[in-house]
This record gives sequence, structure tokens and C-alpha cells, in this order.
Amino acid sequence: MITVRARNVWVIWLSMALALLLSVATLPKFMEIGRPLWLALFLTYWVLALPHRVGMATAWSIGLLADVLNGSLLGQNALILTLITFLVLSLHQRLRMFPMWQQSMVLMVVFGLAQLVQLWLNALTGSRPPTLAFVLPALVSALLWPWICMILRGVHQRLGVN
Amino acid sequence: MRLLVLAVLSAVLMVVDARFTVLKPLRSQLGLIVEPVYWLGRLPVTLWEGATQELSSRTELAAENEKLKAEHLMMQRRLQKLAALTEQNVRLRELLNSAALVDDDVLATELIGIDPNPFTHRILIDKGTKDGVLLGQPVLDARGLMGQVVEVMPYTSRVLLLTDTTHSIPVQVNRNGLRAIATGTGNPERLELRHVADTADIKEGDLLVSSGLGQRFPAGYPVATVSEVVHDSGQPFAIVRAVPTANLNRSRYMLLVFTDPRSPEQRATESAEAQEAADRQAREQGQAGVDEPTDATPSAVEDSAAPRESEQ
Repeated sequence: MITVRARNVWVIWLSMALALLLSVATLPKFMEIGRPLWLALFLTYWVLALPHRVGMATAWSIGLLADVLNGSLLGQNALILTLITFLVLSLHQRLRMFPMWQQSMVLMVVFGLAQLVQLWLNALTGSRPPTLAFVLPALVSALLWPWICMILRGVHQRLGVN
Repeated sequence: MRLLVLAVLSAVLMVVDARFTVLKPLRSQLGLIVEPVYWLGRLPVTLWEGATQELSSRTELAAENEKLKAEHLMMQRRLQKLAALTEQNVRLRELLNSAALVDDDVLATELIGIDPNPFTHRILIDKGTKDGVLLGQPVLDARGLMGQVVEVMPYTSRVLLLTDTTHSIPVQVNRNGLRAIATGTGNPERLELRHVADTADIKEGDLLVSSGLGQRFPAGYPVATVSEVVHDSGQPFAIVRAVPTANLNRSRYMLLVFTDPRSPEQRATESAEAQEAADRQAREQGQAGVDEPTDATPSAVEDSAAPRESEQ
């Protein structure tokens, strides 16, 4: 791979910190069940835009931070974010060609899979949601994707992150 | 390839975290970042609450003040009654020669965050190892037990609430002492009693208090009130539902209870010694001819009892 000189990489880290913050921010009770997967959304954008800069190792370490914040088993979110990054990385050439709504559809499937793994891991530690509600965050995230993508693209191009 | 390595690494981490205690110190140190992040995450709510408080009108404040005064009066009345009851309790316990009730130490704490996963009922409080918080420590609010500490970090700790699906607490019906186990259902307004016989004497409105049998929660704190008892002839046990007395999803301020670390035997011995010392002192005072006005203290009871015996 051609080594590209890093420029304004702090933007990536700042946006990920923002995503971490959003993922624990207080929400009204009825919205809690459909909390968007902020970390996964932000990570997906950077993986699609700068696959040479943001990879599975980044995803893993951010996931570890999320685990500490959420008090889940150390490594749980790390595994899930790594999985999402892997899927997006292996699809990224195709995904970039898709129109926005099609990207959303693909991402819904990817996030749904991730939520399924999350459910299994939660079941291992004993807490299990009784309904299908666990896929709701994937749906909400897919609906949010076009906006997140546009905002982050704006920031990305304005600041010339590379 | 890299996925495989990272996946295996996370799997190993998860297993080690779940089964062993090696990672606990690391976790607790990493927990330092938790408080600022949750503080920032809560900032909009805090600001909003602050603003509404600043802007609330004078009449509202006056009304609230009025309400609080009324509540205060009610509490005072109950407290007076409580004093009498405590005296009575102490005297009865003396008759039974059992150890005196020890009042528990408490530490006030504030809620700083709620677990983002809606399927677990856990909250974050602003006291940690630096304040002496221990793993498994009970937490209560003004109305009853809320849960127990499951993770301690330097300045914060995580509390598992009674209604989490993984939580159970041994309880007793306050009316007749019937023992049961109250299990969380994942619904913040409901607990379920497990394995209660269909013929058991339990009915709607019964108060459930902690029984202290699990050695984790102190005995005698209110836990829930029974809201529904369903007798289904097709089921081996009655279905008993209860509503937690604590405001599990509304309380902002909580109390951490420090239970006595001494064993029951030690406690009994020490209180017996203290009682003996008090008796001796009372006797000496009685011999010296000091006549105390009838205070309802145990020593006063002793004093008033002693002359009667001598008369007989």
C-alpha cells in the first residue's frame, strides 16, 4: 500500500470521542430502546472514506473504551466493532459505488448482524431482551446513515483529513 | 487474518473478565474516564433542570415549600412514634436477651448516569473506592432498597437495580414473616416472587421487607409491595407480582449502607458487655441514691424495676 502522509488525523479521533459521548448520553425513556449505534456509524464512515487510515485495530481499541464506559464484558463491543469494520472493509469498494439509500440497506444488514452477535454475548452473561426490539437500533442507524455520512463528509473535505 | 487475531483476543479478554479477577484493577483504573464522559453526556439534562429551577416562578416555589413543610410535619410525627417504638423494641429485646439493633452507617450519593443498554437496569453513582465503597454494598433511597454495587471504580461505582433480570433478593412478608425470593423482571415497576406455594398466606398490599438471609442486604428494609396474586390451578406455584417501593427510575439521591463488619457472635458479645456495664453503672447510681427523673431509657427502666423488687 502507498503510504499517505497523515493530515489532520485528530479529526477522526475527535469524532470518535463524540460518538462515545453520544453512545452514553441521556435519552428520554422511550427513545432508549432505539438508541442509534453512534460508534458503528462514525466508524463506518471513516472506514469507507479512509480505509488505509482506520482499520480493525482502531475499531478494536475504540470498542474496548466503549466496554469500559458501558460496564459490559471487556472485549464485547471491541469484538462487535471489529466485526462491523471487517464487513465494511470487505465491501467498501462496492459500497462506495452505491447510491445513498442502497448503502443504508446494506448497512442495516451489517448492523443487524452485529446486534445479533451482541444479543448472543449478552445472553452469555445472563441478560436477555425478551423481544425482537434488539434490531431496532440497526434500523434507526440505517435511517440516520445518509445524514451522518453527509455531515462527516463535509467535515472531512473542509479540513482535508487524510 | 487480522480479524481472526482480534476476535480471539476479544474472546480471551471476555472469558478472563468474566471468570477471573486479574483484569479487575485494570478495569477499575480505566474507569477513571467514566465520570467525565457521563457528566458530559448528562450535561444537557443537568442544564435543562438547572434552567427550569432558575426560571420556576415564585408561586411554584412557595407551593413546593408548603408541600415540603407538610411532608416534614408528617415525618416528624412518624419520628415521634418511632422513638417510642424503638424504646419498646429495646425493652422487649432485653427481655429476650438478644443483641441490640445496631443502626447502620450510611453515605449519601448522587446518580450520575444510567446504563445505555435498555435491557439491563444499572446506574452509575458518584462514590467509589476513594469513599470506601465496597463490592456488593446495598444502596437505598428514601423509600426502600434499590440494589447493590456490582463494580467499583476510583470515583464512581455501578449499581445493579433490584429489577434487573439477573437480580434476586431474599424477602419476608412484613405481616407474617413468610419468606420468599423476589426476582427482577426487566420491568422497572415489577418484581416477581418465585416458588410461593399456592396456599401461602400472602395477599395484595402486603409489604415485603428484606430478610437479610442472603448475607448481602441488611434485614428489615422495605423492598416492595405485593400488587397482584394470581392463583392458577394449572401452575405448581402462585404467581405473585410486586411493585418496588423505591423509585428505581426516578431517584436522584441515594444512600449507601455500611453494614457492621463484625460477626453476629462478636456483636452479641459486645452488646452484652455494654449492657452489663450499663447495668453496673445504674446499680452504682441507685446505691448512691441518685433519683433520675423517669426517662424511658433502659437504665431508667432498671431503676424503676429495682425498688419494686425490694418492696416485695
